[in-house]
Order: sequence, then structure tokens, then C-alpha cells
Amino acid sequence: MAPARWHAPGPGTAGGRPALLPGCGGVAVGVHMGDELGRWLGDHLMPGACVEDRADGQAGPGSVHMLACLGNRVRSASGDLLGVVAGKRGGLAPGFLPPSLLAVEAPDERLERICPGERVMVETTGRGLQLTDHPGICLSNVSPALLDLLPVQERDGRLAVAVTAWLPSWAAGSGVGQDAWIGDLDIADEEALAGPSLRYGDLVAFQDFDSSAGRFRRPGYVSVGLVCHGPGRGDGHGPGACIVMSGPAAELTAVPGPASLGPQLVELAARPSPPQRVPKERNA
Amino acid sequence: MSMPVATEPPTNAARLVRTRLAGVVSPASANAVVSPAGRAEVLPGQGGVLTSVQLGDAATGWCSDHLEVGASVRHPEPAADQALQVLACVGNQAVVLDGPAAPARGMVAGKHGALMVAFPPSALALIGPGDRVAVEAFGAGLQLTGEDRVVLHSCDPALLGWLLDGTEPDGRLRVRIAAQFSREAAGAGLGMPASRFNLDLDPALARHPATGTAADLRLGDVVAVVDQDHRRGRRFRSGWLAVGVLCHGRSAAGGHGVGMATLLTAPADRLSLAGDAAANLRSFWLAAAA
Repeated sequence: MAPARWHAPGPGTAGGRPALLPGCGGVAVGVHMGDELGRWLGDHLMPGACVEDRADGQAGPGSVHMLACLGNRVRSASGDLLGVVAGKRGGLAPGFLPPSLLAVEAPDERLERICPGERVMVETTGRGLQLTDHPGICLSNVSPALLDLLPVQERDGRLAVAVTAWLPSWAAGSGVGQDAWIGDLDIADEEALAGPSLRYGDLVAFQDFDSSAGRFRRPGYVSVGLVCHGPGRGDGHGPGACIVMSGPAAELTAVPGPASLGPQLVELAARPSPPQRVPKERNA
Repeated sequence: MSMPVATEPPTNAARLVRTRLAGVVSPASANAVVSPAGRAEVLPGQGGVLTSVQLGDAATGWCSDHLEVGASVRHPEPAADQALQVLACVGNQAVVLDGPAAPARGMVAGKHGALMVAFPPSALALIGPGDRVAVEAFGAGLQLTGEDRVVLHSCDPALLGWLLDGTEPDGRLRVRIAAQFSREAAGAGLGMPASRFNLDLDPALARHPATGTAADLRLGDVVAVVDQDHRRGRRFRSGWLAVGVLCHGRSAAGGHGVGMATLLTAPADRLSLAGDAAANLRSFWLAAAA
């Protein structure tokens, strides 16, 4: 479990108001997938508990971060189920390394019993997952359990994903140019966010954006992410989405919602003893 | 000493403090990158001493990744390194303190993880990683008189005088630029403080300001990006412009590109962008040295 940390103030906002809000690390009891982002006053706030895997206290992603997928089970050191991975945040930058955190969605009664510094186990599975019928679509951070929850349909030979918001490429802020398996991509454009109010767990699509080899603008491509952290208060930051899939528009398209996986992730995390999953044919 | 220029716009430069900072020339990096096509490459990256490509040479086309102009200078202590990054300004004078190149003179030419300092080829031939370089930091806090919405970063006062080319009849400031980028061009560097690092730009989206045709980019070019607000952190904002200088070369990785160290940002209606093929830091450097 990662402790809450205070980092030197970043760029701040053009309005000049310093952001003195919680959000980096620790355990956020009461904050869950499915909550409206605007419900909580935070800065890059993720639901539930934050996990990091660098024992030396150094920021930057370790192998747990690089292998973890949304929907992976997280257990306490004694083996009791804690919850499921529900988000990532962090990244890389020249000269400094922000923290690389996993968010764990878990029932409050379990969140209340855990403490930063405790060891947890993440059952990572999902690296290498591919859609055999759509080899051009790249999955990132998707566990088999999450794949079963994704609101996808076959439509004219393309995979159609339901999304809450459809964003232009220039709405992508902090996180551009980094590995899709590390942290998240911030939505840094108030105009693009003026429409629907987002909830933790909503799916959003970035138009003309690819995430197969880093996150970057690429005309004719679509990237879909799952909203996993709340607004970042600094310029160029905003709510963050963990990328789940990307591909050429000929194979992947986004259609208007319903597109919130929040309630399903809450339910997945609360399942007392997860049943053995039987793989479906389409992603065998 | 500040570089000489013909006309200086009214600023608070007389109240700014000069600070001598020192850093060490850093070793070069070998960057392992994956291209958008999925090909993994290892290329000469940032840092070290770049001897074959100079300020004014092409910014793209080299087999490289984030190639930094001149010598790349850092300080081993994080807080001192941050001071070097924030206080040093493009156009500031620098001098080699150690080794056979001492006391060669150079000029701060950009910011990335390290501070980039341009030196003449004769000096670059003798500089090595580990040599110490001092920078006469001058320009942090610079403000144009009566222009509250024009925010400057990393800009030596003399460079500002060279960058601005008078005012239009309607009062807008004329800024000389070599190329202009559309809003879609902005990549890595978004969300980072505008007084440090730089903003990566997709070179395929560079245009000549006058003709709208594709522009060939050179290291040191003064460029503008549409719909970028760099007052604090680098961010997208409709109706704003950011102006800066290209200080590192292209990248093989998606979302990365040529790097623009921010010099100036303002609402678009405060600036008049004037295409000028000589709007390259090399021209300022030569004029200042003459």
C-alpha cells in the first residue's frame, strides 16, 4: 500500500489558486467506482486504496504496475480478498518521476482495515490478451474479467464500444507520449468536458489517437480509456483515463453510452469468493 | 553581460537579478524507443556534447531521438539542478570552467531534462562530459511594461528585444517566427511547468506562417503553437498562443517530436505573428557576438 505523499507544487493553475487537496496515494475510504467525479474535492484522486511496488520509495513504475490490469484481484498478505484493480496513475518525465499508483476498488469495511505500508498481492493477468477476430485492436490494461464487462458489439465488421464522452485529440493532456501501460491520460480541456458529467469507471474515447506504442495523436485511430482519477488541478491536467483499447477506425469505433463500468467493478470487488472464470470463445 | 540589441521594448529588466550558476556537462543517453509502427530502435538520445549538428541545422532527418543542441548541462544535486532549470534563460551567456575548452563562451539555447548550451564548433571539439559550465542567469521575472496578459519564460531581456519586431498600428506585438504549429501538434510536455522542460511538437504539422506550406524546421527556430496557454503549466486553451525556440530534434516515438522551450505566451489577439526566415536563435547569437 502506498502512503499519501505531498509533492512540491506543480505548475498550478493560471488562476493562481494553489491546489492543496488530497489525492496522491493512501487510502480513500468512501470513494468508489461509479461516483461522480465532481462529488469529491481532490487532486488526481483515485477510488479506494493506492498500491505501488517500489519498496525503495522511489517513484516510477515497477513490474506490478506494468503487469497489472483493470479487474485483477488484489489480496492482503494473508490471502484475504481486498478488491480489484480499478485504475492507474503516474507517468514519466524528463528530470522527475511522479508516483506510479494502482487504484484498488474495495468495500469500505475492507478499506477501513488496511493501512499504508502493508503488503498486498496483485493477481496480475491480462498482458498479452488479444481479440482473435480483431488483430488490429490493441488491448491495454484489460484483464479477462474486465473484457467480459466491456460494452462492445460487432457492427459492420467493426468493434463498437459504448462511451460516455467522445473527445478530440487535443483534449489529451498530461500522459501524451508515454506507455499506455503506465499511469493514465489526462483530459485537459474544459470545453470537451462541458457535456456529460463523468463518473469513475466511465469509458471515454479519444478521436485520432493511438495507444498501441505509447499514447499519441494519430489520425484515423481511436483510443478508449476508463476514467480512473478525478480532476487534476494544474494546467494541462484533468480527469484521467486508463487506456483499455485502441485501433484503426476501420476496426474500432465508439458509440454513445451507456458506458459506465463503475457499478460492475464495485460488484466484482465485493464478490466474496470469485468463481473460477470460464474463458469465452471470442477471447480464447 | 547582456547581449547587445538595437531596440529593447519597455520591461522591468533593470530590476532583475543576475545569478551565476554552475553545472556539469552530462553524459549522452542511448534511447530505446518504439515507433508508432511498433519497431524498436536504439538511437543517440539527449545529453552529452553534440558536435556534428549545430544551432541552425535541420531539426529533423537525423538518426536520433530527442537530440539536444550543443552541450547538455545539469547539476548533480536535485534542488540545484532545478534552480539551473528555472533561472537560466535562453540567450544567457555561458562559459566553460574546466578542461581544454576553458574559457570558451557559449549561449543558453534551450531546456529539456538538462539545460542546452550552444558553443562554437572549436569549443565543442574540446568539451567533454564532466566539464563544468557556468551560466550568467538573467531574465527570470521579466515582464513587458503594460502587458499583463503577456507572460514570459526563460527569456533573456536582449533576446526579447530581438524576438519582438515593434508593434502593429492596432497595438499588437509583432513576433518574428520561422514556423507555426496547429493545435493538434502538441504532445509530451503538456501539463509540465512552462518555465522548465519543453513541449514536443509533431514536425509534420509545421507550416510557414505566410504561405501555409510545410516548413523545414531547424534547431533554434522561433516557432508558435496555436491554442496553447503556457502561463503556468503547458495546456490547451482556445484563443491563446505559445511562442518558443526549438531546442531538440525529432523523436522516433509517437507523441514526441521536436522540442520547443517556451519563451512567451499571450492571448492570440495580443500578438501579430510575422514570418521571418531569419527567426532562428543562431541569427541572434551571431548578431550578439558581432
